[in-house]
Amino acid sequence: MQWAPIGSEPLPPPLPPTRVDFTGDRSVFRKMVTKGAMLELVTFGFYRFWLVTDIRRHLWSNTAIDGDAAEYTGRAKELLVGFLFALAILVPIYLAYFLVGIEFERWQGFASTPLFISFYAFGQFAIFRARRYRLTRTVWRGVRFWMDGSGWAYSFRAMAWGLLVFLTLGLALPWREASLERYKMQHTHYGDLRGDFQGDGWEFFKRGWWLWLLSPVALVIFPLAPFFYAEFKAREWRWWLNGIRIGGVNLASELPHNAFYGVYWKVIGWWTLLSALFSLYLGGAAMLLSAAGVGPTSPDSLARSIPLLALMVIGYLALALALNVVMRVYLQHDIWVKVLETLEVHDIGVAADVQGRGDLASALGEGFADGLDVAGF
Amino acid sequence: MTDISAGAAAQSAKPTIFFDGVSSRRRQVTLTLDDALEIVEEGGTPVRWAYADIRRADSPAGILRLASTSAPPLARLEIRHVALAADVTARCARLDEHQTTGRGVAKIVGWSMAAAVSIVCVVLFGVPLAADRLAPLVPKPIEQRIGDASEVQVKTLFGRRVCEDPAGKAAFTKLVNRLRDAAGLDDDNMTAGVLPSPIPNAFALPGGKVFVLNALIDKAESPDELAGILAHELGHLKHHDNMRGLIYNGGTSFLIGLLFGDVTGSSAVIFASRSVVEASYSREAETAADTFAIDIMHALGRSPKPAAELMFRITGKEGGGLTSILASHPLTEDRLARMTKEDRPASGPPLLTDMEWQSLKLICGSGKV
Repeated sequence: MQWAPIGSEPLPPPLPPTRVDFTGDRSVFRKMVTKGAMLELVTFGFYRFWLVTDIRRHLWSNTAIDGDAAEYTGRAKELLVGFLFALAILVPIYLAYFLVGIEFERWQGFASTPLFISFYAFGQFAIFRARRYRLTRTVWRGVRFWMDGSGWAYSFRAMAWGLLVFLTLGLALPWREASLERYKMQHTHYGDLRGDFQGDGWEFFKRGWWLWLLSPVALVIFPLAPFFYAEFKAREWRWWLNGIRIGGVNLASELPHNAFYGVYWKVIGWWTLLSALFSLYLGGAAMLLSAAGVGPTSPDSLARSIPLLALMVIGYLALALALNVVMRVYLQHDIWVKVLETLEVHDIGVAADVQGRGDLASALGEGFADGLDVAGF
Repeated sequence: MTDISAGAAAQSAKPTIFFDGVSSRRRQVTLTLDDALEIVEEGGTPVRWAYADIRRADSPAGILRLASTSAPPLARLEIRHVALAADVTARCARLDEHQTTGRGVAKIVGWSMAAAVSIVCVVLFGVPLAADRLAPLVPKPIEQRIGDASEVQVKTLFGRRVCEDPAGKAAFTKLVNRLRDAAGLDDDNMTAGVLPSPIPNAFALPGGKVFVLNALIDKAESPDELAGILAHELGHLKHHDNMRGLIYNGGTSFLIGLLFGDVTGSSAVIFASRSVVEASYSREAETAADTFAIDIMHALGRSPKPAAELMFRITGKEGGGLTSILASHPLTEDRLARMTKEDRPASGPPLLTDMEWQSLKLICGSGKV
């Protein structure tokens, strides 16, 4: 191919959009999370750092944009170290929270409850920093994504908008999401390309306001709630993806509004089935024990038998493990695949020769997010 | 030497792509497998990777993606041609050295087990020891502040009202002072009060605070019954049981939470193990407070038995089996048996006159809440 000197060529016609392919095998993912859940159980949860890393490596490396697969370069040890550092920082904060709380309580009973809000602010900070860690471990074509911006500035925005959402009973949610997403995307970079977010709150509001109006109905007619939630999530995803820009690269999504119905109902189905199995198991165990004469002799002492308690704990752990696998397969893998299926990338040519930039961020944010039990991207 | 010219046609159908880790440019390259791997782009300077430095990077099925420890960290070589990939793989001896192997997983499991055993040991032996040693050392002002805070909370819960009928209060103060003097509690900050509540109970708070709920006074049939229970609460004050419990509960919840991390649904496990561990600790403290109450009642020349009878009237016979593991107090029947053994004929004067006892029973007004 011959290259004309830059500047002398006419503007090329717009190229057709590029698709995003997912090449992963669902059964491989299922086996991975099943094995991971079992290891999580025998390691009292410490294996979570390795499992989370394996899940991301699988999803990232099987996602190909314009024919080239991405790569996740984060490692579990970084998460473990981040978690330990976060603990070392969180412990004194918990202590200070306790002492300040006492002073508030002396002044007025239960006056320290609002202090809990400070942990929410810290959680928002953690979400921002955890996102930075994940992005700097995301590599495509030998160039990494990276982020600048301040976690505390983000947290302040999130809190101020959160208050507004609270005061408007949720109506301000679209504008909150647009503002926060704009902050996150404008501080997101791929090499020397800068990200941006073009979605606006009004657009999201128009797509979802009737769900807000109907949400009280779901509280009365319970089976409607999964439909509403699935509708909301699908609309949110589509709006979010359509707003994303990186340099001149645009994303476009045609995600149908009913895309997630199946996923959520399957999770509910599994949950019901597993709970029923658990009850059957408990009933069977109680009957067997009383037949063998070691179990409870009267219904009153049913809850007091130690062998039954042991069987209950075993059954409960098995249930938790199975639910864990179900959630990861449906809510992480299947949603990922469904979203990618309908995603298009426009003007990917802009990213054909991007200079690598940006440094790796530490996993401390992930540690905070883990320690505070918050999640988000 | 495996030259690639033979498979050139196949290679152009399944091109080898090189990203130099500096820019995102997709470079179509040919490989020469020599004493090192040579990556050649048409018109560019060749890049050489020593085989010992080459590591496998994550990739989708059907693509061999390589990195080199001596190249820029994000430089990647992607080989799509199966035979070529096999050829390169055979030469790179340390290709998978950095991956987590079965042994690596066994190590993670081993270390987690070790961490778990150490945390369990600390919960069972370390934290109780620390609580016992630290509780008496907590400075009085801090204990006072914690006590003030919990008093405000408790009073909020019980409707912000304190029972203060003057005659009843005088009788109550007299009873408490006699017990306190016998107990040798030299705490000037000690306060005691009666709160209106339909629940028959009494409790001690940090900083020398004892509260009796008036339903307990309603159910008591003699001053000795109430005195034994008050003496038990004074025992908690004497032993710093509140601060011990605070340090102990805080420590165990933190450590058990740390142990289980966030395995989905583990909170029930945490709750269950905490209840068992903490209840046994609390039972020990209750038994010690009972011993203290028995001693005070003996010192005053009164029997501890009526207090146990009052408790038995309130709780009735408690069960066996699991409840005895989870109970925070010793079983009432055991306490009654113990105090009956310590029963002695009265040798001291009554703690309150009949008049005083009658006014104490009316400390919350008509006796109704």
